[in-house]
Amino acid sequence: MATLSADFELPLRSFDLRLALDVERTVALVGPSGAGKSSVLRAIAGLVRPSGRIALDGEVWLDESTFRLPEDRRVGLVFQEYALFPHLTVERNVAFGGKARVGELLERFRISHLAHARPGELSGGERQRVALARALARDPGVLLLDEPLSALDAHTKDTVRLELQELLQSFDLPTLIVTHDYEDAAALAATVGVLVEGELRQLGSPADLVSQPSDPFVASFTGANLLRGHVTSVEDGLTGVRLDTGEIVYSTDPALGEVGVVVYPWDVSIGRVHADDSALNLIHGEIGSLSRVGNRVRVRVGPVTAEVTTASAERLELAQGGVAVASFKATGTRLVPLAG
Amino acid sequence: MRVALAALLAFVVVGAAAAQSHTTRATVYAAASLTDAFPAIAPQAHFSFAGSNALAAQIRQGAPADVFASANMKIPLGLYGDGFCSKPAVFTRNALVLIVPRKNRKHIDSVGDLKRRGIKLVIAAKGVPVGDYTLQVLEKLKLTSVLKNVVSRETDVREVLAKVALDEADAGFVYATDAKTVPKKVRVISIPPRGRANVEYGICVVLASHDKPAGQAFVRRILGPAGQRILRSYGFLPRKP
Amino acid sequence: MRRVLLGTAVAAAATAALAFLVLPVAAIFLRVPPGKLIHQLSSPLVTDALIVSIKTSAIAQALILLFGTPLAYVLATRRFRGHSLLVTLVELPLVLPPAVAGLGLLALFGRSGLLGTSIPFTQTAVVLAVAFVASPLYIRQAIAAFEAVDPNLVAASRTLGAGPVRTFFRVVLPLSRGGLAAGEALAFARGLGEFGATIMFAGSLQGVTQTLPLAVYQAFAINLDTALAIGALLVVVSAVLLVVLKLVLSWQPSRRTSSFLFARST
Repeated sequence: MATLSADFELPLRSFDLRLALDVERTVALVGPSGAGKSSVLRAIAGLVRPSGRIALDGEVWLDESTFRLPEDRRVGLVFQEYALFPHLTVERNVAFGGKARVGELLERFRISHLAHARPGELSGGERQRVALARALARDPGVLLLDEPLSALDAHTKDTVRLELQELLQSFDLPTLIVTHDYEDAAALAATVGVLVEGELRQLGSPADLVSQPSDPFVASFTGANLLRGHVTSVEDGLTGVRLDTGEIVYSTDPALGEVGVVVYPWDVSIGRVHADDSALNLIHGEIGSLSRVGNRVRVRVGPVTAEVTTASAERLELAQGGVAVASFKATGTRLVPLAG
Repeated sequence: MRVALAALLAFVVVGAAAAQSHTTRATVYAAASLTDAFPAIAPQAHFSFAGSNALAAQIRQGAPADVFASANMKIPLGLYGDGFCSKPAVFTRNALVLIVPRKNRKHIDSVGDLKRRGIKLVIAAKGVPVGDYTLQVLEKLKLTSVLKNVVSRETDVREVLAKVALDEADAGFVYATDAKTVPKKVRVISIPPRGRANVEYGICVVLASHDKPAGQAFVRRILGPAGQRILRSYGFLPRKP
Repeated sequence: MRRVLLGTAVAAAATAALAFLVLPVAAIFLRVPPGKLIHQLSSPLVTDALIVSIKTSAIAQALILLFGTPLAYVLATRRFRGHSLLVTLVELPLVLPPAVAGLGLLALFGRSGLLGTSIPFTQTAVVLAVAFVASPLYIRQAIAAFEAVDPNLVAASRTLGAGPVRTFFRVVLPLSRGGLAAGEALAFARGLGEFGATIMFAGSLQGVTQTLPLAVYQAFAINLDTALAIGALLVVVSAVLLVVLKLVLSWQPSRRTSSFLFARST
């Protein structure tokens, strides 16, 4: 498995972008707009020249004495709005990067029937598939995705996210995704980094970012818990989900198959005693971590992280290693389809 | 409404009064060689200077000229014959000369030298009076072979003058009066007497003119002692040889 | 009542404008009977002028395309100190009176000029005069056409393995074709009708430097019918040019997928 290592500095308009990152599988960078996310991808692709070092395994793309031009780097870059060539057919677009695997890629992305269509005639999801196929036709060593789901409407997003997850899992490429949507990042990548004003504030698994944010900004930005599981029952308007960690929770969202249960830390309450209320989801567990964020505390109970006031935490005498009950309403959750 | 009517009336009255002023406001179409002399004679007249043939063509198309002054008699006589103007009169004469740039790189001393290879000769187009005179002179001198060295046929005499004065052409045929306007830039070579052409300038009043009195007053001034004196000061020759 | 009045006024103004544009052209053809027109066209004055015009136009436009395109591309895609100044300089010939342009060419290429060449009064001089006055028209349009190409498309092409040259020919050029054609049509039309600079720098000699516009001027002073015939010829050539341009433009692929706003031609 190849690794892309990037360690560089790039002056941007209002701040300097400083990044040191190794990408082995899939890494997602999240951050507000203007944080420099797109610039990271452009630097790795060779469209801008930072100072530092960028290498894909043994191939050095950038260092003090080297600068490989974009056309000589084996990158597959999928642009935010796909940047498909409007004057070429789908087939020619995909073939632009390399003619060898066009047929195979069209098949794989299920766009063979669109081979002679023009980009202007395609739907958002179809365009994304063409963009991906085109990037892969180049046989790249690293895949770079710029806001892969932003150009889609909410309805298409879920389906496309699912497809993208499956695809990313089936590739064997180091992949770097940038997005402003934390949920997308959590769903697509095992490692998430928070980029703010050119600086990587925190890098870790999605769960870690939610449970142990390094600062209030990260806390508010990373937002929700994403608990993975699969649907076991659907009745009376409630969907039952067995989490990978074993617990069963309910949601008012309809869904089937592999899903992620999304619940915000501030919607989760903490108690010491086993409460009995059928309207609530209850998760018993050991208190895995406590971290102070401003005047609040993030408490990890089992797989879920709650956010409570410092006063409550003190009142409940919460401490690491202790036992607690996290509760949240079925109505306070969302279900997001995930790949297996 | 009443204010508008009053304004309109005032406009008409002033307009009529303006139309009354004479010589001063005539519109004169004149040969290019008269560019300096004519305004000196009647500063307030409106002038349009170009090749005489071009001006005549415009008058035939209805151009608003009151007077037409040509560098030959042939063109105004043509207009007179076709009913466009009054009977033309000769008002001055001129001499055709050969000019070379001051530097005279090609060392041209006579019309005969123009036969040499590589000479860039500029003359006026056929139909332009000075162009016709040039051909006349060359025929008289039996030197029409120099025409092989012509690199450009200009639309009026001042363009010929300019090209020579700028030292872009090696030689050109203009009137003596034109050469006098840029003494430091050109050298004049006279035409031998046997080759000289008779250059007579004709003037007439345009019949379609809206201000014949103004036109006639202008012609009188040109033909009068003051006008003739000024023409002489610019190098033009007397009316009668 | 007011609306009817307004509607009538608009219709009247539109009709007047249309008439103003169409009638002078129509009048040329109406003044001379077609038979006479065609007869005039076979006179040496006209055929010589036609050949000179076509030859010099073709060479001048080829030069404009060859040198103007790269210049326009650099100006469209790079920003550097002095960029606006350079653009202004390139546009300068547009606002110069043609005679002044001719003088400038003379001052540079003339025998007594800066470079001291023997170009004046030659057909080369005509080519230079035409190229000089017409190139800004092409270059300005070309810059706009290149600027309208989504930079992401260029970037995408690079990441897909195409170097700058391949990217230019495979992505930029096809997408800016419409704008370039429009610019070239303008430049061609301007060049074909060029008079002032030509007569100053190249002079006028039948068969050598006398182009169609110069021939019209000369013909006007001699024979109005010939002048009209040449005028009609110029109208026909211009009309053919417009038609060809429309064909090229309608061939242009429509819309782009990126949400880039400046949708060119189509």
